[in-house]
Amino acid sequence: MNNDLSKQSRAGFAEGDPEVWREFIVRQIPQLYGMFIKRWANPSLAEELVQRTVFDAVRGRASYDASKGSPEEWIFGIARNNIRLEMRRRAGRPGVDGDISSYLEAIDTKPLPDEVLERKEMAVIVRAAFARLESKEQVALKAKYIEGLSARKIAGQIGISEKAVHSLLYRARNSLRAELEFETAL
Amino acid sequence: MDSKENNLEKNISRLVKLTGDTDKPSKAFTDSLTEQALGELKKAEGDHKREEKGAKMKLNLKKTLAWAATIMIVCALGLGVLVSNTKRASKEIGKIAGLTDKPTSTPAATRLDPSGRAKIEYTEVGDKTAVVGHEAKSAEPSVTKAPDAPVARDVTANQLVPVSKDAATVEELGKAREISDLKVQTDMLQVSGQMPSAKDAFTAGKVDTRLGVLSGGEAGIRQKYQEEMMSMDMTGQAGTVGEARVVQERPMFVATPKPVEYRAGYPMAHGGVVPPNGEDADAMFFKNYGVNPFVDTEDDHLSTFATDVDTGSYTIVRRYLHDGHLPPEKAVRVEEFVNYFKYGYAAPQEDDFAVYAESSPWKFGAGRKNSFLLRLGLKAKQVSDENRKPAILTFVIDVSGSMKRENRLGLVKKSLRMLVEKLRPQDRIGIAVYGSRGRKVMDYKGLSEKAEILAAINSLCSSGSTYAEEGIRIGYEMAESAYKKGHINRVILCSDGVANVGQTGADQILKVIKKRAEKGITLSAIGFGMGNYNDVLMERLGDKGNGYYAYIDTIAEAKRIFEDNLTGALQVVARDVKVQIDFNPDVVRSYRLLGYENRDVPDDKFRDDKYDGGEMGAGHSTTALYELKLWPEKEGTVATSYVRYKDADTFAVSEFKSSIATADIKKSFDDSNTNFRLAATAAQFAEILRKSYWAKGAKLSDTLEHAKRLSTERSGHADIAELVDLISKTIQLTEKADVEPVDGEESEDIIYLQP
Repeated sequence: MNNDLSKQSRAGFAEGDPEVWREFIVRQIPQLYGMFIKRWANPSLAEELVQRTVFDAVRGRASYDASKGSPEEWIFGIARNNIRLEMRRRAGRPGVDGDISSYLEAIDTKPLPDEVLERKEMAVIVRAAFARLESKEQVALKAKYIEGLSARKIAGQIGISEKAVHSLLYRARNSLRAELEFETAL
Repeated sequence: MDSKENNLEKNISRLVKLTGDTDKPSKAFTDSLTEQALGELKKAEGDHKREEKGAKMKLNLKKTLAWAATIMIVCALGLGVLVSNTKRASKEIGKIAGLTDKPTSTPAATRLDPSGRAKIEYTEVGDKTAVVGHEAKSAEPSVTKAPDAPVARDVTANQLVPVSKDAATVEELGKAREISDLKVQTDMLQVSGQMPSAKDAFTAGKVDTRLGVLSGGEAGIRQKYQEEMMSMDMTGQAGTVGEARVVQERPMFVATPKPVEYRAGYPMAHGGVVPPNGEDADAMFFKNYGVNPFVDTEDDHLSTFATDVDTGSYTIVRRYLHDGHLPPEKAVRVEEFVNYFKYGYAAPQEDDFAVYAESSPWKFGAGRKNSFLLRLGLKAKQVSDENRKPAILTFVIDVSGSMKRENRLGLVKKSLRMLVEKLRPQDRIGIAVYGSRGRKVMDYKGLSEKAEILAAINSLCSSGSTYAEEGIRIGYEMAESAYKKGHINRVILCSDGVANVGQTGADQILKVIKKRAEKGITLSAIGFGMGNYNDVLMERLGDKGNGYYAYIDTIAEAKRIFEDNLTGALQVVARDVKVQIDFNPDVVRSYRLLGYENRDVPDDKFRDDKYDGGEMGAGHSTTALYELKLWPEKEGTVATSYVRYKDADTFAVSEFKSSIATADIKKSFDDSNTNFRLAATAAQFAEILRKSYWAKGAKLSDTLEHAKRLSTERSGHADIAELVDLISKTIQLTEKADVEPVDGEESEDIIYLQP
């Protein structure tokens, strides 16, 4: 595999060399993410599973045995275990039925179940609701929750004060919420 | 901070991600995770060193001849059986591994491979040999009840002479560790250095085993393990003997007996896996819509909202206070407090609406200078009782068991009897009820059959569950069959808002209501009852139903709604009323709207006539208050208000505007008229009750002073006298006169800068 760490790096890998690990993690994140998102079309969940897998790897690096495979194979094994755990977690849960709207209604009282987020129509609903927001609100929400930018950075990008970004985000969240409810109430 | 705002933010964060490119993680995520992971790498390194040091110290303490001898025997015995058992164990592991992954393609599986090897390390202690390390794979988590749990091991280090008898002991050791591990970790993957308790637990188990070998033989050992496992404290310090260095590995298979919750040690990428909070079935349902922030006019000079003529929040709070409790903050909606009072706006003679604007400086909250209050009053045209359109009223009455409480149904009946007295000959009434099932009680009857109407009302009694959906559906079916153009077609729902059969969520019901409202059948939601009252549902029903929402706590309130202004309650004169205020950025520095949080309309939807606004009945008025910060020494237009609405009958859209200038601003709060001060007082009261961030430092005693003054100026106004009473009650209930507000969402973000 081209992406595998070189032999030299592998030694550093076992020793926990930060530079080797940085290289390794940065390269593995998109691959792991792809692996999870294929199974559950839920970006947040995929992020969470990636995060868990990477942490498992970091914490369990002492168990890595170079004689048994490459670090890449090893971390994918961890990822597979996390998929298994996630499947098991889901098996123990009541299924999600009924209207999406009833879940959106409670959007400020409890976390949306992953199963709801993964419904196909969910992305359609969210996109439609999102498209009706003011463009300023759209930009702010994307910058904050997709790009993960800080309020300061957003402020710099769109040329308003940091405080205004906070209130813009606050309004944007509530607008999106209203639009979501509007979208599902019809 | 408000957990609702947190939940909202987390969920919105997750939802927004759905709009993006989902194939790749964002750069921000990759970067932040990389940093976190490297931080963890360093941290784990540190922990690891500390542990090694600790282990050495313990080792020294325990380095005794007796120990060494014991250990030697144990190990020797263990190895013997180990060798003989290796094949069997390997097979078992292989079986399990085969269930899930092919070892060749799975590095992790390879690690815990079909040959299922675990490692035992040996080291020299003085001239004796001791077991110092053990590496095993845990396979089945079923605590203590997995006699078949495969344990694999392999002797890789300094070989000792196997003594067959005690090999079982070594197997037990493996199990013991599995069990202890599994107890600790439930589902999460254990890694070295992270779970000292598991390690210690194992160590303890092992030591006891050795003692057991010496003292009691195999049976004794087994029992000892069981006890040990049972008594082991997951978080505790079971381990006292530390010559073992345990290299833990990830368990390959973890069959968790209960739904898994993620361990707190893992930073969440989002908040989505916390189990939903179980809501108490008997809880009061209110919803926190947040508090509007100050908005810089430079960012957004438009403020848009749908009108609201509801008063439910005020009466609910009154009920709480009369019962001797402070209301929950989210039960307080400022606009409904303000709209509860009558401000004597003169009704327009020819137009549909009259707009009144007034402004003066005001003082509210600690240290806020340069604060002005702007009041906008909107008054709909009056329709006299005689000119009211004939009404076809369909009562849908909740007669479920919950309506028995506090004689809710009794109050409903009284209210209805009162209403019947106010009807005119051409009006007609039909009644449907719902309990366990919905049913029609009485077909439409006019006043000529008043006795029968009253008899039907009196015959109602409550029992059963609450099939609200069916009741509302039947009510609407009746209303549809009786529908007449040019009449007021109104469904009046009398309920505590609790639904527990059928579609218990609001949305199904709301959908039905919204569709019918477009046809002209509107809905008024009249709330009754406390204890398990659902304010959120009732308010939304009234809102979506293009009718209104009121809460009846006393017979006096029923009178106010059904007797004093029945025409206003029934005859809508304008639909989808929306208000947009355009603040002049040259004069106004920032503004905040008091209340109307759940009536917010996006600025660009103001002229979208499909976007729902508020409905206004004949003679209804609505008042909006803004707190303003002005630029110093600026003059000109302060704000221009636009009101857009549809004619109730023709649906023709009209829009008109009016404006207020700096010259219109009163010199001082005391110069403003009584009505202005009344609205301000009601708003202050609500703001303090709901612990708005902007009420920080405001004293309820000041508000009480305002109210008292109003009460003397307007003696004979029961509403104002009652307001004084309620504020006093609140002060008593608060112990201290000033309610210390909790910080709201915006508190940390928006700090108004004094000019």
